[in-house]
Amino acid sequence: MKIEKDVEHRSRIAVIDGSDVMNGKVSRIFLSDLKISGHFLSDGTVHKGDFSGSFVPPGLKGREYIVKYRYTNPNGPKLEVRLLKASDGSQLFEKSYALSNAQKMPFLVHKAVYDINRILKYPDIGWINRYVVFSRYTAPKRSEILLADYTFTYTKVIIRGGLNLFPKWADSAQKSFYYTSYAGLVPTLNKINIYTGSKSTVASSEGMIVCSDVSDDGGKILLTMAPEGQADIYEMSLFTGSKTRVTHFNGVDVSGKYLGRSGQIVFVSNRLGYANIFKKSIGSGAVSQVVFHGRNNNAVDAHGSTIVYSSRESNNAFGGNRFNLYLSSANGGTTRPLTTTGSNQFPRFSTDGKIVLYIKQRGGSSSVGYINLESSQSLLFPLGGRKIQSIDW
Amino acid sequence: MVIRQKGSDVIKQTVWTAITLTAFFFSGCGQTAPTLDGTKGKNNFTDATEISGDTVTVNESGEGGGLGNSSADGFRSVYFDFGDYSISGTMQSKVSADAARAAQTSGKIKIEGNCDEFGTDEYNYALGLKRAKAVKDAMAAEGVQNGRMVIISYGESNPVCSSPTDSCYARNRRVDLRLAR
Repeated sequence: MKIEKDVEHRSRIAVIDGSDVMNGKVSRIFLSDLKISGHFLSDGTVHKGDFSGSFVPPGLKGREYIVKYRYTNPNGPKLEVRLLKASDGSQLFEKSYALSNAQKMPFLVHKAVYDINRILKYPDIGWINRYVVFSRYTAPKRSEILLADYTFTYTKVIIRGGLNLFPKWADSAQKSFYYTSYAGLVPTLNKINIYTGSKSTVASSEGMIVCSDVSDDGGKILLTMAPEGQADIYEMSLFTGSKTRVTHFNGVDVSGKYLGRSGQIVFVSNRLGYANIFKKSIGSGAVSQVVFHGRNNNAVDAHGSTIVYSSRESNNAFGGNRFNLYLSSANGGTTRPLTTTGSNQFPRFSTDGKIVLYIKQRGGSSSVGYINLESSQSLLFPLGGRKIQSIDW
Repeated sequence: MVIRQKGSDVIKQTVWTAITLTAFFFSGCGQTAPTLDGTKGKNNFTDATEISGDTVTVNESGEGGGLGNSSADGFRSVYFDFGDYSISGTMQSKVSADAARAAQTSGKIKIEGNCDEFGTDEYNYALGLKRAKAVKDAMAAEGVQNGRMVIISYGESNPVCSSPTDSCYARNRRVDLRLAR
C-alpha cells in the first residue's frame, strides 16, 4: 500500500461571500475549484461576510488565506474577488470579472480560482478553464454533441440532430473538434469550428472511423478505421493528407493514443483473445503488452508515458457490471487503482496529466468524476439521464 | 463577450480593440494594479487568456443516417451471443435467407452491426463492426458479391429495446440488413 503525504503542500483557505444575495451555484463552484486544484484546503463552507474591508472573522484567522467575493448579475454575471492574508487582512490580489452571457457564470469562478492559484505561485491549473466536449445519445441512431465547463453546470449543444459521435478537440485552443458523422452511407470524420460552425471533411471509411488522438502540434491524428472491414489504427498527416497504417491485425485494434513525442502509441486490442492494452512504435512492427492485470481492459488514455485504463471486473451479460480505473506506465512499474466502486469508464487526462476525468455509473445515475492524481482529491458532478457516448477535455 | 479587469479607460479601450479583432478575450494589459473600492491591489498581472466567444449550434436534424432500428426490405436480423461475433449454427439459416433475399434485389446492401449497452468507447463500435463483417463474409460465402455489401457499425447507438432484461439485451446484439438508399 502506498501512502501519499501531500497535505503540507496545500494552503488552508476560507471563502467569504460578500454578495447581497448568496448564489448557491457560485458557492459550490468556488469550493469545487479550490478542492480539485489540489492546492487548497477549505473547510467546505462558504461563509457570509463583508466584501470590501480587511476584516477577517476571528474564527478564520487560523487559515493562511481568505478569498472574498461578490457576485452580481446586473447585465450579465459579474464577479469581484479579493485575496487576503488571513493573519492581518492585508490584500494580495483583487480582480473583477464580467461576461455578457449569464449561462457562462461558471467560467468566471474558474478563472478567478485559476488567478488565485497563479498569484500564489502554485503549478498551473489551466485545465480548469477548458471546455469539456461530449456526445450523448438522444434516441436510437440519434445523438447530440455539447460543450460543458468541467462541472457540467454550463452546457450548450453544438451539434443537434443526426448521429454524430466521438468528439475530439483538434487544437489546444479548443476552437475546433473532430467528430464522426453518420449522415452518409459510410462514416465520415468531420472537423467543426465551434465559433463559426464551418465544417470540413477530413476522411471517411467503411465500417467505422474515429479520431482517437491528436499530436501535440496538431499536425497528425491517430484514426481507427476499417477500410477493409477490420478495425486498425492509422496515422494521418493533416498537412499532406497521407495515411499510414500503424497496426495490422485480423481482429480489433482501436483507441490509439500517442505516448508523448516518443514515436510510440498505446492502443486497445483483442489480439490475446480479450480486450487489453498494448504499445508499439509507429514505424516498426513489434507490439508489446502493457497491462498484465484484468481480463477486459477496453479503454485507455495516455499522457507522456503515463496511462490510465478502465478494466471490466465482472462479466455479467445482464448488466450491473463493475469497471474500475487504473493508473500505470507504458514502460512498466506499479499500477495504482483510482476507483473501487460502480462503473467507471471513459478515462481522460487533463492537458497537464494531473487530473483524470471519467464517467461513473452507480445505480441508475451517472456522474462525471475528477481525480487529482497528486492530492488524491476527487469530485463527482451529476449528469442528466441521457447516456454519454464519448467525451474529451 | 469579455472578462475584464476594472481599471483605467486605457484598459477598457484596449479590451474593446481586442474584441474587434477576435470577438472575445480575457482582457488584460493592466500595467497598474486595478483597484476595488479604492483599495490598491498587489500582484496583479497581465492576462490575455481566451475563454470563450459565442459558440454556434448547428442543427443537423434534416440529415438522415439511415433510420430504422431493425432489418428492412425483406432481410432478417442476425443475433449474437454476449461479447461474441461468430455466427452460431441457429443463425446460419437467417444468413442463408438473407443471401437468398439479396439475390432477389439489386443495388447495395447495408449491413449494420449493433451491440448491447454494456460496452463503451471505440471497442464497442469495433465489436459491432466485427459482427457486420462476419455477416458480410457469410453472405459472400453464399454467393453475394462483395461489391454489393457495405458494412457499418452503430455500436450501442441503435438499440431495439431498453428494458433491463436479458431478452432485451440479446435483441440488441445483432446485425441488421437493408437496401442502401
